[in-house]
Amino acid sequence: MRTVERFPNLATAIVLAALVVLPLTVPATLASQIAIFATGALSVALLLGAVGLLSFGQGLYLGVGAYVCGILLRDAGLGLIPALLMAALSGTVLAGLLGSVIVRRHGVYFVMLTLAFAQMGYFAVLAFKNVTGGENGLSGLPRQFDLLGFSIADPLSMYGFMAGAFFLVFLLIQRVIASPFGSVLAAIRENEPRCEALGYPVARYKTAAVALAGGIAGLAGGLHVIFLGFVPPSDIELEMSQRLLVIALIGGIGSPGGALMGSAFYTIVSEALSEIWPRWMALIALLLIGLVLFLPGGLWGARRRISALFARNTAHD
Amino acid sequence: MSTQLLLFQVLNGVGIGMIYFLLSVGLTLIFGLMRFVNFAHGAFYLAAAYITYAVVLWTGSFWWALLLGPVLVAVLALIIERLLLRHTYALPHEAQILITFAVALLIQEVVILLFTPLGHNVPVPAALSGIVFLGPYVYPAYRLAVVGVAAVVAIVLWIAIERTKMGSILRAGSESAEMVGLLGINVDRVFMATFALGAALAGLAGVLVAPLRGVEPFMSAEALGIAFVVVVVGGLGTLSGALVGGILIGLVQSIMSTLWPEGAQLMIYAAMALVIMIRPTGLMGRI
Repeated sequence: MRTVERFPNLATAIVLAALVVLPLTVPATLASQIAIFATGALSVALLLGAVGLLSFGQGLYLGVGAYVCGILLRDAGLGLIPALLMAALSGTVLAGLLGSVIVRRHGVYFVMLTLAFAQMGYFAVLAFKNVTGGENGLSGLPRQFDLLGFSIADPLSMYGFMAGAFFLVFLLIQRVIASPFGSVLAAIRENEPRCEALGYPVARYKTAAVALAGGIAGLAGGLHVIFLGFVPPSDIELEMSQRLLVIALIGGIGSPGGALMGSAFYTIVSEALSEIWPRWMALIALLLIGLVLFLPGGLWGARRRISALFARNTAHD
Repeated sequence: MSTQLLLFQVLNGVGIGMIYFLLSVGLTLIFGLMRFVNFAHGAFYLAAAYITYAVVLWTGSFWWALLLGPVLVAVLALIIERLLLRHTYALPHEAQILITFAVALLIQEVVILLFTPLGHNVPVPAALSGIVFLGPYVYPAYRLAVVGVAAVVAIVLWIAIERTKMGSILRAGSESAEMVGLLGINVDRVFMATFALGAALAGLAGVLVAPLRGVEPFMSAEALGIAFVVVVVGGLGTLSGALVGGILIGLVQSIMSTLWPEGAQLMIYAAMALVIMIRPTGLMGRI
């Protein structure tokens, strides 16, 4: 049994420091992408870490958030914050609906259903071309935003906004994990039948966690659209779900701090390698195999394992 | 819809459904025995489709591809099982999912590396390129042959699982692999054989589908999604579930593609959602 850490803790400080340092080390547009995909990966990390649910379908909610945000910005003339809130809300509602069906199935069934529903979202986008723009996506969105009098137009202010959004979600997840609700989720992860026997409405708790994760992914989709200025259909493709999962795994299974680390790693590596060798995903695949076999805690967990190794060595001396 | 068109679409649906059956039955067999979902299943199908493309390009003979596709994919599966999967059996089931997912990614990237990301056509074998008369209607011979091949495979599989010693080991193993091991049977080898067989069946589906829809590197993700839908609809772990699920989904896709072409793929997933709401265990499922 893992002890529940209080928050804000060391991880909060590290993440905050990393967000400040990030735009100094990489270009601001790249830093924005890192923050956006880290937000999306937080939804995977929440499910996997807090409840132990492996989702291959978080890209669905990211994509839905992206389309909702794009359509509201363009056609309904909504402002930045209302559009983002609606993106998060749409992700929450859809994930809540699908979740109430999916959580009834356990283990591999759950995983398969998340993937199947993610595919469904992609084909829905193709089926309703007049709303979604089909394979062309949606363009013609506003490129300039105001937030409390500050203009968000240049790369650095854009990064500030994305990093702020990521940090808020990060704090929210830390708060949720440390809450009584989070303790129940952890109990479900450790021993679901026992929770059921204790009288907890397990399905309802799991649905709530899935809905929350869907909302976070939806928000990330909205952020991505704000950043890009259009809605790419790739946001709702299966590849997006896989990307979020890979980022969360590289960072460390289920650790919220790892999402930022994984996203930074993935985004920087893809940026650096895609020019030299377009098939760099093969390397990611090899890395993933290595992680599963040798480093189950991911990069974030490596820190703990290395310190554990040192501790063991000193104990032997 | 005219009768001719309806009949044509029903036959097409059964044809696609039989390919979906071949694709999914391996997934079901592997899950039944080894208790994990093979995310590389779509990639095995992809690999076999590209082997078909390469062999037909090279030798001009589809029949070599029909032999080599499943065999080479089975060998590939054996290597993957021995090299990687074997080490994950003691880990939680997420580990097997993630490692097979990584393998799928790797296979897809290698295919793109060898054959570019663009799709290619594969010609229908000359002997089957004609049409057959079904009473007053005509139908492509190749599609009919696909139904025949898949039906033969289904019957052989059923006999092998229900009526042979190997089959009884497989069935016992899916009840309790540990107990079968205690009875002195080398479960490790049974796992190996089942994984290779499942992969070979996905490979057969890949070979048969290549002349129908051509090959492109992203067909693996689509196939994996379809295979999941089939086993969710039919029920995981049963041969009959893969057959019923496969044909049902094939029919939905084929009939919807005349009624609403853009939405045909969507309706497959809608059908799945409907089935799991009414019968969460799938039509033929027990668990």
